[in-house]
Amino acid sequence: MSRNHLQIIYSRQDTSPEPVILEVKRLTKSFTSADSEQTIALKDLSFSIRQKEMVCLLGRSGCGKSTLLKLLAGFIKPSAGEILLNGEPLHHPGPACCMVFQEDALFPWLTVKENIAFGLANKPMTRRQKLQEVDRFIDLIGLNGFGSYLPREVSGGMKQRVALARVLILQPRILLMDEPFAALDAQTREQMQSLLQDLRRQFAPTVLFVTHDVTEALLLGDRVLLFDKNPGRISHDIKVGLPQTRSVDNEAFLRLRTHINQQLKEE
Amino acid sequence: MRRVDTNIWLQRSLPWVLPFGLLLGWYLISSREIIPTYLLPHPGQVLVSGFDYILGDPQKGIYTGRFPGDFSASIGRVLLGFALATAIGLPLGLLSGRLEKVQLLLGSTLNALRAVPGICWLPLALIWFGIGLKTTVFLVALAAFFPIFLNAEAGARQINPTLTQAGTMLGMNRWRRVYRVLIPAAMPHIVTGLRLGMGISWAYLVLGELTGVPNGLGAVIMDARMLGRNDIIIVGIILIALIGRLCDTGLHLLLRLCFKSARRLT
Ligand SMILES: Nc1ncnc2c1ncn2[C@@H]1O[C@H](COP(=O)(O)OP(=O)(O)OP(=O)(O)O)[C@@H](O)[C@H]1O
Ligand SMILES: [Mg+2]
Repeated sequence: MSRNHLQIIYSRQDTSPEPVILEVKRLTKSFTSADSEQTIALKDLSFSIRQKEMVCLLGRSGCGKSTLLKLLAGFIKPSAGEILLNGEPLHHPGPACCMVFQEDALFPWLTVKENIAFGLANKPMTRRQKLQEVDRFIDLIGLNGFGSYLPREVSGGMKQRVALARVLILQPRILLMDEPFAALDAQTREQMQSLLQDLRRQFAPTVLFVTHDVTEALLLGDRVLLFDKNPGRISHDIKVGLPQTRSVDNEAFLRLRTHINQQLKEE
Repeated sequence: MRRVDTNIWLQRSLPWVLPFGLLLGWYLISSREIIPTYLLPHPGQVLVSGFDYILGDPQKGIYTGRFPGDFSASIGRVLLGFALATAIGLPLGLLSGRLEKVQLLLGSTLNALRAVPGICWLPLALIWFGIGLKTTVFLVALAAFFPIFLNAEAGARQINPTLTQAGTMLGMNRWRRVYRVLIPAAMPHIVTGLRLGMGISWAYLVLGELTGVPNGLGAVIMDARMLGRNDIIIVGIILIALIGRLCDTGLHLLLRLCFKSARRLT
């Protein structure tokens, strides 16, 4: 790797280091399949994420990205290792770490509004406050007028907006996104990317974002983690260090993209 | 999938073709006495008897004006048996669909029991409960249990795991997830099971009532057979068919009224 690359990658200094919010220590996950064969999906994975950071996970299919997110969401238990959220071990799945799924995971029997309001049921708020809050989020995601539609009556992009709103409304400490825009067409995906950037400016959540798309990772991420297969582990931890508003034809952007593509090929 | 371009009038009228055709055939056969009336009564006769049975003055004959009493007796038995089957079958089915241990515990036994035709229980039920309400309710409940249980189980099992995960993630504990995710997501299957259960309830009602209870729609049919009143038998059959159909529609409407998920998913 040339010196030139290194300079680009590590040029921007961390201006104000936020505190670490999520720490993963030597995380290992293995699955036993039906014929009792062991698959090691993740091995000795360690990394940490600072508050408000947006980290993109890139890697080949089957290298354990979804598994990592499921572990962080608490849907499955690690075989070994620790996940610390604000220094405390993560126990139960819950609104602290919320996931936006790739596929359609809205409740099909609830309207857009009811889906967004779903998690508010537990909150100590009056009915009116809840309705107002839901309306505010409908406005934020640009779905005014679609509140009483059912999921099957809106487009794929709209569904993902709703999926985003129903977790953001709970103010999760960490937002986990597993290829949330992969199923969308290019134009809708761009719209969703800019929506996500807008929402980040407003809510400043910590985000862990899985994608196959190097461009998407570089457009959105503050940091990019490259995953290696067999067993799944992090091969590169790259600080993006590009300005907040990025364009795909910027020279630094292109160089970084070539660099990452090379890394991915070498694996 | 239903074709969209089917003519709307065709759609409306086709379901009536068969009933009217049969009726016409019956009328012709009876009018020309191809089949003697002691085997198949004339439709006009059936109409008159039916009218009498439903609206007649109870003092005037054995079957006149008996319908209200028979109907309330029968519907009571059906609803009681159906309610019992629902109360046991629905929760057990949902549990069995979600928890492997419950499934292992119940699965094979219930499948073995299911293979036994309901009618086999009749002698035993008669010994246990005697002739009357209890036997009928027992048979109805037993028969309706299986479709309700099996469909609830299938519904609970096929739930998209991301929906349960989403429920947990959005802060619902186990108990609330049952009401907010499990039941709504399984609702289409639950509705199917309940409707099948309701249908089979009527079948087994007649079976239970054939054993010699004094009143009820099944009892009337059996009674009429002994007195050679085949017009009343046919009246009974038609009434059971109509009431069964109404019960099915009513049940579906009620479910749709009570549950958002039934309204939106079925
Ligand atoms: N429930 C499971 N049981 C057994 N093996 C599993 C299970 N879930 C994942 N695996 C295995 O773990 C490995 C990682 O899977 P994972 O879904 O995390 O990959 P991924 O990086 O998300 O892939 P993709 O980019 O295609 O989504 C794969 O080899 C997969 O077969
Ligand atoms: Mg995946």
